Amino acid sequence: MTPSENRDDIDAVITGINLLAEELEHINSDLEGRVADRTAMLRRTQAELERMAKTDALTGLANRTLLNERIQEAILAGAECGKNPAVLVLDLDSFKAINDTLGHGAGDSVLVEVAKRLRSVVRAGDTVARLGGDEFAVVITGATEQEVLHIAHRASEQLQDSVRVGTETVWAMASIGVCIGTTGAPAEALMRDADIAMYHAKSKGRNNVQLFHPDMLGVIRERSRITTELRKAVPAGELALQYQPVVELDSGLLIGVEALLRWHHPVRGIVMPDSFIRIAEETGLILDLGRWVLHESVAQMGRWNQIAPDLADFRLHINLSAAELLRGDLLDDIRDTLDRNNVAASRLALEITETVLMSKGAAEEEVLRRLRDLGVGLQIDDFGTGYSSISYLRSLPADTAKVDRSLIQDMGSDPKRQKFVAAILQLISSAGLKAIVEGIETVEQAGQLQAMGCRYGQGYFFGRPMPPAEMLELLRNPTHRQ
Amino acid sequence: MNPVAANEAQFNIEMSESGLVHLRWLPGVHVQVDDARGAMAQVNEVCQQEQHPMLVDMAAVGSVSREARAIWSIPCSASRIALLGESSVDRVLANFFLGVHIPPCPTRFFTSRSEALDWLGAGAGAGAGA
Repeated sequence: MTPSENRDDIDAVITGINLLAEELEHINSDLEGRVADRTAMLRRTQAELERMAKTDALTGLANRTLLNERIQEAILAGAECGKNPAVLVLDLDSFKAINDTLGHGAGDSVLVEVAKRLRSVVRAGDTVARLGGDEFAVVITGATEQEVLHIAHRASEQLQDSVRVGTETVWAMASIGVCIGTTGAPAEALMRDADIAMYHAKSKGRNNVQLFHPDMLGVIRERSRITTELRKAVPAGELALQYQPVVELDSGLLIGVEALLRWHHPVRGIVMPDSFIRIAEETGLILDLGRWVLHESVAQMGRWNQIAPDLADFRLHINLSAAELLRGDLLDDIRDTLDRNNVAASRLALEITETVLMSKGAAEEEVLRRLRDLGVGLQIDDFGTGYSSISYLRSLPADTAKVDRSLIQDMGSDPKRQKFVAAILQLISSAGLKAIVEGIETVEQAGQLQAMGCRYGQGYFFGRPMPPAEMLELLRNPTHRQ
Repeated sequence: MNPVAANEAQFNIEMSESGLVHLRWLPGVHVQVDDARGAMAQVNEVCQQEQHPMLVDMAAVGSVSREARAIWSIPCSASRIALLGESSVDRVLANFFLGVHIPPCPTRFFTSRSEALDWLGAGAGAGAGA
């Protein structure tokens, strides 16, 4: 309403109302603007929160939630185009060692680098996710089996290169499981089967790619069953030790016994270590088994000493796994067990495989040094299966190398093999170590090794693994077969 | 002192010898933001960076836009401002400005020129009166 030219009181009211209306309109407009801004900000924040809820904070990759969504989407899309999605599951090998030796900061840097490398091998429409810890996954859409495997192998190749962390160089290879989806298969099945294939890759020596096959399910079930039963084996008293003699070749004198684990399964009978030791190492059960073997074998040594105090000196050989080297209470446990059974430290020798000794970190080195200081013997087991150089051999804190049985196979009829074994024995001697050759089964092998200057041997020729009572008889008659 | 040239004949400004600035809006003018800006610029120019009391003749102003009122909240060279009107409409316009916007210096509405000048003089160092 427009005031008149009179500019009287009524005009004043009209003017006032117009002014108020204008002000209200301004306020309203301003308010609407602010509400719009605030709504836009809230929408942006919500989008960001949703993104963060689906993203791994460390690497920026998709997390498990987003991965599952992408798998679902890919399954639907695959149903339309006829190409089912594939899932890769990757688990870094030996990542724990990086964290343990260099710290979690270094571990995080490695994970970030791995994420970057995985991103570089996938296509634009594929999704790379971090599932947690050192486990990653990839969803590949619209690809043939060949293309999927190509991507998996490229991922593996990318991870072969070392990773630089500060002044340190580490390696972060992975075991990779691949599952190509089938029509109608749900997302959970894809992930599960890729996971199974990944574990299969682990069991095949790690750092390889395995394509899921239904047969693997049986292996997994068997593994799960063994794990469950093995967990109960120690408290149920199903474990037992047998002992195999180690002899001096020239005199036939028994100089040591190796403790070998057996599992007396209530249904399946005697189960050999090959069937369960690897599973024990992968699941961590090896720590319980190792503890039991140490306690039982040293106690047995104590019992032998009590029963037959005049027994000639011999050493007890026990196998030690990589995991046990990092057991926090290992040194105390060994010391206490020896003390408890009145067994001198020099009567105990720990066998550690060449592969474990070669890949030892600073923590393991310290443990080995303290074991030597304790007076316990250290032996390189399965020697010849790793890649030791002479200089490396000399630096290992061991006094003996046990030559793997595979090196003397067919030695009798193969002159080249004989020369090779002779060279190995020379190498060991050059490094200042004693050599014990394992797997001696015939008098010919024993004779040939003796001629090469080998002083000690172990194998069926001298005696199969036997129960403690039988070993005691052997110990009482120390001069063995010559 | 001669009146300063008006901005499209919407207002004129003069400074008295006593230092009083007189801004006179022409009757019926609908003051928009550019008019307000122009007026304030010229006030500042006339004052030559010195503070002066200002008498604003706003009697019979048609309307003042919101944006123009906002310009008058910006500090300027006026040390105090007397708004001089005649009618109830003038009073409403002035009070709306005083109530909704924050004047940059002491500002009051008057319907009596002499009272306005007295009030300006009371606060001015340069004296009041045209």
